[in-house]
Amino acid sequence: MPDKHFVIPRQDINREDFTSSIPDFNRRSEFLKTDMGYKCIITNIVRLTEQEKLFKLRIIDTLERNIFRFKPGQFLMLELPGYGDVPISISSSNSNHEYIELCIRKAGHVTSALFNLAEGAHVAIRGPFGSAFPMDEMSGHNVLLIAGGLGFAPLRAPLFWINEHRERFLNVNVLYGVKEPSQLLFTYQFDEWEKISHIVLHTIVEHADAGWKGHHGMITDLFKDITIDPETTYAVVCGPPVMFKVVCSYLDKLGIPMNRMFVSLERRMHCGMGKCCRCMVGSTFTCVDGPVFDYWSVMNLKEAI
Amino acid sequence: MIYKVMAKSEFKRFTDALLRDNTSFGPRQVDSDSRGNAVYQFLPVTSSDDVAYDYTSTASSAKHFFLPFREELSRFVFRDQEWDQQITYEANPIVLIGLRPCDISALNILDDVLLNGHFPSPYYLAKRKNTFVIGMDHLPLADCFCKSMNHHTISTGFNVFCSDIGEDYYVSINSSKAFNFLKEFNTRDPRDDDNCRLVERRKIISDSFLSEVDVTALPSILDIEFDSPVWEKWGNKCLNCGTCAMVCPTCYCYSVEESFETNLKSAVRHKRLYSCNLVDFAEVAGGHNFRPKNGDRLKYRYYHQHRGFAENANQQICVGCNRCGRACLAGINPKDVINDLRMEKESCLTNISSSPGRI
Amino acid sequence: MKHLGYTFEKLKIASFDFTCCEGCQLQLANRESTLTDFLELLDIRNFRELSSEQHDDYDIALIEGSISRQDEIERLQAIRRQAKTLVAFGTCACFGGVNSMKKKFPLKESIAEVYPGMPVQTMLVKKICEVVKVDFSIPGCPVNKEEVERIMVCLATGSHVTLPKHPVCVECKAQLNTCMFELGEICLGPITRAGCNAVCTTGKTSCLGCRGPSEEINMPAFVKLVKDRELSLDELQEKIAFYNAFDGFNSHET
Repeated sequence: MPDKHFVIPRQDINREDFTSSIPDFNRRSEFLKTDMGYKCIITNIVRLTEQEKLFKLRIIDTLERNIFRFKPGQFLMLELPGYGDVPISISSSNSNHEYIELCIRKAGHVTSALFNLAEGAHVAIRGPFGSAFPMDEMSGHNVLLIAGGLGFAPLRAPLFWINEHRERFLNVNVLYGVKEPSQLLFTYQFDEWEKISHIVLHTIVEHADAGWKGHHGMITDLFKDITIDPETTYAVVCGPPVMFKVVCSYLDKLGIPMNRMFVSLERRMHCGMGKCCRCMVGSTFTCVDGPVFDYWSVMNLKEAI
Repeated sequence: MIYKVMAKSEFKRFTDALLRDNTSFGPRQVDSDSRGNAVYQFLPVTSSDDVAYDYTSTASSAKHFFLPFREELSRFVFRDQEWDQQITYEANPIVLIGLRPCDISALNILDDVLLNGHFPSPYYLAKRKNTFVIGMDHLPLADCFCKSMNHHTISTGFNVFCSDIGEDYYVSINSSKAFNFLKEFNTRDPRDDDNCRLVERRKIISDSFLSEVDVTALPSILDIEFDSPVWEKWGNKCLNCGTCAMVCPTCYCYSVEESFETNLKSAVRHKRLYSCNLVDFAEVAGGHNFRPKNGDRLKYRYYHQHRGFAENANQQICVGCNRCGRACLAGINPKDVINDLRMEKESCLTNISSSPGRI
Repeated sequence: MKHLGYTFEKLKIASFDFTCCEGCQLQLANRESTLTDFLELLDIRNFRELSSEQHDDYDIALIEGSISRQDEIERLQAIRRQAKTLVAFGTCACFGGVNSMKKKFPLKESIAEVYPGMPVQTMLVKKICEVVKVDFSIPGCPVNKEEVERIMVCLATGSHVTLPKHPVCVECKAQLNTCMFELGEICLGPITRAGCNAVCTTGKTSCLGCRGPSEEINMPAFVKLVKDRELSLDELQEKIAFYNAFDGFNSHET
């Protein structure tokens, strides 16, 4: 027996190991690779404001491009090799299967490096991740979209959806507040949307400049402009934490049920897959349980807003 | 599961063969502390003689064999202005000998968190699949509270588990690989008296626990006590050093870092085990910290350990090994913190006016 | 090198030493496995340990050592005027370092002890940031070459330069070391900034805090721990003062 060997053979992992839980985004012909990104080419970069740029991305591989589908409200991890990856909410229409648009603010280390890129550069995306706005549930109702600052970026995808399925909704109002007029994003789009689809935009700035002819004040001041029927209204709120508190409690007082108010939260994510725990809020993950939560869930989450 | 009984001397021959032929790790004494107690760690072993079978507990858990403190997730190789991403999930087979029931329970919990969610971790799975686990039972140490957490016995998650029944080991065999290896050694089917000795051994272990933590309804108590002054009190003691999470068998939170290699020809995305007690755990771009105070961070670790998160169906992930309690220089340990939290609420019972059912 | 459409320039770098042992600069020539790659990142303009050439058109200045003479102040100010980025390099530059020991004795006594019978011009030690603006610090006695490489790569690629915010314990536990306190010694690991890979404690030597305090250290809890373990508060005081890196943290708190 001493010459007998007891070497444990190496076992590779294979697709079958994951059959019970293969995530949608990894439905690939080859092997399950959770950390492998889809390679994209940046086809277009538009500077929107001093701090924000709109990046238009196209997944290079045809097969991968046909697999990549998302819902309004979901985000992806944008990878810039060598610098790292950051969670970015998708700002384009989910019916556009050719391109993905991302509105990015120069805030940290990865986004700063992204701002140095030129059109034609290759980056990678992982995802889509997270929860989405319940567009079907909202159908048949009035919709009130409320955005503060960069909070408009995640609302652009549901706005596209509403515009493409306009007949399913009653009144659609967008309340949009920023600090200064120069920070307004995507307002050019509303010319068309207001005319053709009757999606009404109300903007307000905190600090008006000489050229500004519109409203001046806080986002809550815009509520004077519209009538809200709490019985038939769904609200979607996205902006800085302080805005959630003010706006949501206002809507709550109006009588909009908490499960008809939706917010999109923001945290630093490292994995996007509910593993690293960096984006935990209370006992839920912003990346897999969120970023879209109904207000009732957020009320129940400690440290949420 | 197949049960066999094996003389201890024969078991040593079995482990000798296994440890000789495979990269293996087991408990070894590394130091004596200032009070004269032996300090153990899981380190490389090549024969049965290297293994400290009578060890108390290792200072650090066996977690890092599955979740390395630092691990390469993927690599980007640059050429001209183009890049390629490379990922490998390969792991070489290893043998881990001497794991306690709580250590194996911890692996089962990690399985649950890392393999059963939406995005199973192939990195973890590759290592888990290639690890041959030999468990051994033991008499609890004075501060073990795994019985309170119901992790003092184990029925799955290992290849072989040995219960010490005197001259022999009562061996539970949980894999065909282990069964085939053991065929080459002298074993016998358990007799009635072996079964009696096993029951007796289990009873002795169960009766030997000196520490108890009342975890009844703990998740709900933690939710109610979110703003309890207890967190600030224990937070004031906390050094923010992250030691508790590093030695813990189930703390798996991590940080992802990416950096260019010095030659700028490639870049590596690394994962580094992190602790929620570290000051920048909940910091976001721009510097805002969602958990700026010691107490907030300490509380968060207790929430993760004892309340559980949605991803693993709100299950507690603490196994009661008390490694964190032993390692904490500030004397913070689950037993005292949880008892304090309970006491804090119970103390108010005498202060409130009559409530229903209490006149 | 070109990357994703933009080019990395070599770093025009110079290294200067003040009151120090030049050990940190010597580290730059260490770690042979990546040395050629590392030097490839740099365009060395002035660095007497590595090159005999001397030019004054550098962008980055590494400053090793602390300041203990008037002429050093003037020299440092001249460097500051030229450098776009000035780096406090090593513990002496960042905190004063071992040189600060001088402040414990009357200056005359120190001079008489070290340079008996010789005229020496010296003053109390200043750290670099007390004299000129420092853009960032790389602490360590000596600096960790791996970290220096990482930071130089960050500078070359336009990434943010960061240091770990947590204490050495994290790295020490990853090495499976036995805690120095368990071995009956006072170790500054729990209050010292990580990034050294716990090199001292891995060699069974207590941490003396050469990398300075980690962020938001809990000094009262640390002092209590030393007391509770019946270790010497005098020894604690001595260790904390060793590199002058914990200036402003009172270790006498109860």
